Amino acid sequence: MNVVLTLLQNGIGVMAPILLAATGGLFTEKSGMLNIALEGLMLVGSFFCVVLVSQTGNLLLGLTLGVLVTMVLAGWLGFVTLFLKANVFISGLATNLFASGITVVLAFQIYRNKGVIIFHEIPSLGRVTIPIISQVPVLGRLISGHHVFVYFSWLILVIAWYVLYKTTFGVRLRSVGINDQVLVSLGRNPRNYRMAAFLISGFCCGLAGAILTLSLRAFVPNITAGKGWIALVVIFLGNKRPMGLFIAALVFGFAESLSNYAQGAMNVPADFILALPYALTLIAMIGYSVVTYRRQALE
Amino acid sequence: MNGAALLQLIKRISPKQVFFRASGLLIVIGASLASIIILVFLLSQYPLMTLRYFFFGVFQNLFYFGNMINRAIPLMFTGLGITLAMKSSNFNLGGEGQVYAGAFTATVTALALTAMGAFIGTVAALTAAAVTGGVMAGLSGFLKMKWKTNELISSFLLSNAVVLVVNYLITGPFKDPQTNLLATRRIAQEFRFDKILLPSNLSTGIYIALVMVCIVYFYIYKTRSGYEMRMCGQNREFARFGGLNVNTYIVLPMFLSGALHGFGGAVAIFGTYHMGIKEFSAGMGWNGISVALIARLNPLAVIPAALFFAYIESGASIAMLHSDVTFEIASIVQSVIFFLVTAETIYSLAKGKRSLR
Repeated sequence: MNVVLTLLQNGIGVMAPILLAATGGLFTEKSGMLNIALEGLMLVGSFFCVVLVSQTGNLLLGLTLGVLVTMVLAGWLGFVTLFLKANVFISGLATNLFASGITVVLAFQIYRNKGVIIFHEIPSLGRVTIPIISQVPVLGRLISGHHVFVYFSWLILVIAWYVLYKTTFGVRLRSVGINDQVLVSLGRNPRNYRMAAFLISGFCCGLAGAILTLSLRAFVPNITAGKGWIALVVIFLGNKRPMGLFIAALVFGFAESLSNYAQGAMNVPADFILALPYALTLIAMIGYSVVTYRRQALE
Repeated sequence: MNGAALLQLIKRISPKQVFFRASGLLIVIGASLASIIILVFLLSQYPLMTLRYFFFGVFQNLFYFGNMINRAIPLMFTGLGITLAMKSSNFNLGGEGQVYAGAFTATVTALALTAMGAFIGTVAALTAAAVTGGVMAGLSGFLKMKWKTNELISSFLLSNAVVLVVNYLITGPFKDPQTNLLATRRIAQEFRFDKILLPSNLSTGIYIALVMVCIVYFYIYKTRSGYEMRMCGQNREFARFGGLNVNTYIVLPMFLSGALHGFGGAVAIFGTYHMGIKEFSAGMGWNGISVALIARLNPLAVIPAALFFAYIESGASIAMLHSDVTFEIASIVQSVIFFLVTAETIYSLAKGKRSLR
């Protein structure tokens, strides 16, 4: 029982970047664009946030600048896709390719190092103890005592829910995804809403990437290791709803902490552990499509 | 999936449009070359020297020149594989894993069948590689046919998992204990393809690649099956109405696409590497997609497109050897191409029709 609790607790910590990236991807998905660039945006965010925090010596300033850089890349992706009318899928792949290239090139340029870069000067992130809840036996261990980013990711999910479902902007954004001619009849350009969705996904992915490097206080090439893709699947498995996203991300967080545990406890080769998120995602995808297919067949 | 935009690529176009398409392509290639110049000026302390190595290093000697052509061989196979899948409106995103798994299977088969002699061993290894890649991609096709699982995501995920498993196999059970390399044992001397341009690595694999280009061209444009496949690619409902078995043309093109990838991986082993090295094929699958798109899904145009990509990669690696930039700038340049190659607006700008509303 104690093991399960520890696994869940770790899972909640691990799911934060996935949840954040998925929240960002939810906006593009709702606006009708398949955004496969989450992975690349996250990678760029993870690199620029940690480097800029280290260079400016200020956590908040560095984080803001890093997220802005990510948003610029997301904006470029949006520009190419919406204004130059490139295939959204290919431009997303290009973003991922660009991200893996630019991070290594700049790491080499600044640090003359293409491997692991450790940032000792960055302060480690504090853990938050929530006053009353931390005293409750099981709940306290699960909910209290995480990095501040974990709570931040939950907050952003709530904001995303509010924006998407309770504001005019959100309703219009979702209408673009269903039929982009609706907004045209209102005299508004659906392209602007899609562009906004891309920028929001850039903001969320930048933060998601920052969690990875700032909690590790190091940058590792390809540190995202498929998390952006898992975020995409979380969106599908969560049925494109905020609460569903949370549950799906929790499942993946749990799976990842389980595989970390398996690596230590059962001596499973590291490559298998790394492969596990992809394999699990694939199985989840197939299961999801079988269920959807059956449901459609019934109707 | 963005079907309309993809269809745009598949449509037959008139000769006049070919000219405009070509000039649009020139803009894309020009932008990628410009990005090289900008990157080098930003990153290098000796930009002019670096640029000279980048652009002209390939023609400096036979070694670099042959190696550039050799680099294009796997890209021709992966480019053909992507072309075939996209002609039928299927998306094979697992090229990376299919090349790698195919190469690994070929190596293991060749090592196991050393006693059978070069001919049987090579044929068996090539077949095994093609089947491995084909089954991987075919599975995604099957899932799409059966339950409408998005083939683009399923092929990508499967490929990523397979790459890691092959990594484990190469560095674990199949690792050559005699060396410190993260690689398998070397295949026997008589299995290796002959070198045709010493001292470079260029091997007879290039002939296989060129023959394969012709085969794929013939299949797509001159056979009944290829015609039906293209029809399904252009309008699946129309093809269904015409009485075609539409499901066949989801699984078959995916299988063939994967088989071409696996085959390409095997050719790279027999021609160049002679052993399964950890992550030796990284990038071959992704670049295959770019090659196919630059070739605008024309199998014959895959040859120059693959050579162009090999030129950029060779330039980057020569510049890295002789100057102070790192090889990864090649992937930035490739991403510039990727960003722009499907951009419809660029092609209409080239046409003189400004649709940048």
